[in-house]
Amino acid sequence: MNTQSDSEHALAAKIARLLDQGVNDLDPALSAKLLVARKQALGHYKEQRERAPEWAPAWAGGAVARVTEPHHFNFRLLAATVAFVAAFACALAWQSLTQGGSEMAEVDVGLLTDDLPINAYLDRGFDSWLKRQLP
Amino acid sequence: MERRAYKQALFAVRDEHTALDIVQDAMLKLSEKYSHRPDEELPLLFQRILQNTIRDFYRRQKVRSMWTTPISSLVSGDSEDEYDPLETLEVENESKYAAPPPELLERAQVLALIEKALTKLPPRQREAFILRYWEELDVAEAAKVMGCSEGSVKTHCSRATHALAGMLEKLGVTL
Repeated sequence: MNTQSDSEHALAAKIARLLDQGVNDLDPALSAKLLVARKQALGHYKEQRERAPEWAPAWAGGAVARVTEPHHFNFRLLAATVAFVAAFACALAWQSLTQGGSEMAEVDVGLLTDDLPINAYLDRGFDSWLKRQLP
Repeated sequence: MERRAYKQALFAVRDEHTALDIVQDAMLKLSEKYSHRPDEELPLLFQRILQNTIRDFYRRQKVRSMWTTPISSLVSGDSEDEYDPLETLEVENESKYAAPPPELLERAQVLALIEKALTKLPPRQREAFILRYWEELDVAEAAKVMGCSEGSVKTHCSRATHALAGMLEKLGVTL
């Protein structure tokens, strides 16, 4: 296992050495282009580094302004919040409706399966009799 | 640094202009976004940006091919997957007039074969191999750059080395 790993590393090292040679043999025109690109990036890098101390407070100020200024509304966030609240309210309403329905269904089932005939509940005399019977 | 980066990009995208653009983009991104970071972090960050820029290129190419493949398949039956750059290599070398010294010629040929073989590797294997063995990052650093586990880096490296060895053996190249 170790020998296999060693031979892998050895082959990889040889390939890497050859790749290094390939870099040295790069077309001079291309190397010049890459050097220009590098110099541009380095110039940019130095510029950014010099600007960094001014940039930080400016960013902080901007962030404070974004939070405190009243006219900087994020309409997307507002719309998303409204949609979420509406969806939540709908879900609650639906749940209460379906729950009410199930309660009614339970009462109906109770009435229909009771020993007492349903007409007894419509009889006014039965109601007054029930009140008299209860302590 | 930029020449190695260029080569890396070239192995991945197989187009000189695109590779140059990728390296320029990566260097600019590094200078724009990470100028505040400590100097010792910059090489690893650059590798990460470079690999991400190469991946972005793949993504864009994938989206583009989603649109262009159905159209091009109507026009011609050739597909890019069927193209084997190694097959054309011998012919290209024979067409050269000026003959350099035999040793240089052999080295250049071997290098060309290795570079072509690298372009044939799956992207993640190539990325792992280059980062680990050419850029000499350790496994943890390579994993950080690639955004995967250390185990994956080891697996990719091992598979890449095996694949390269197989391809070179097939071509009669011994290192």
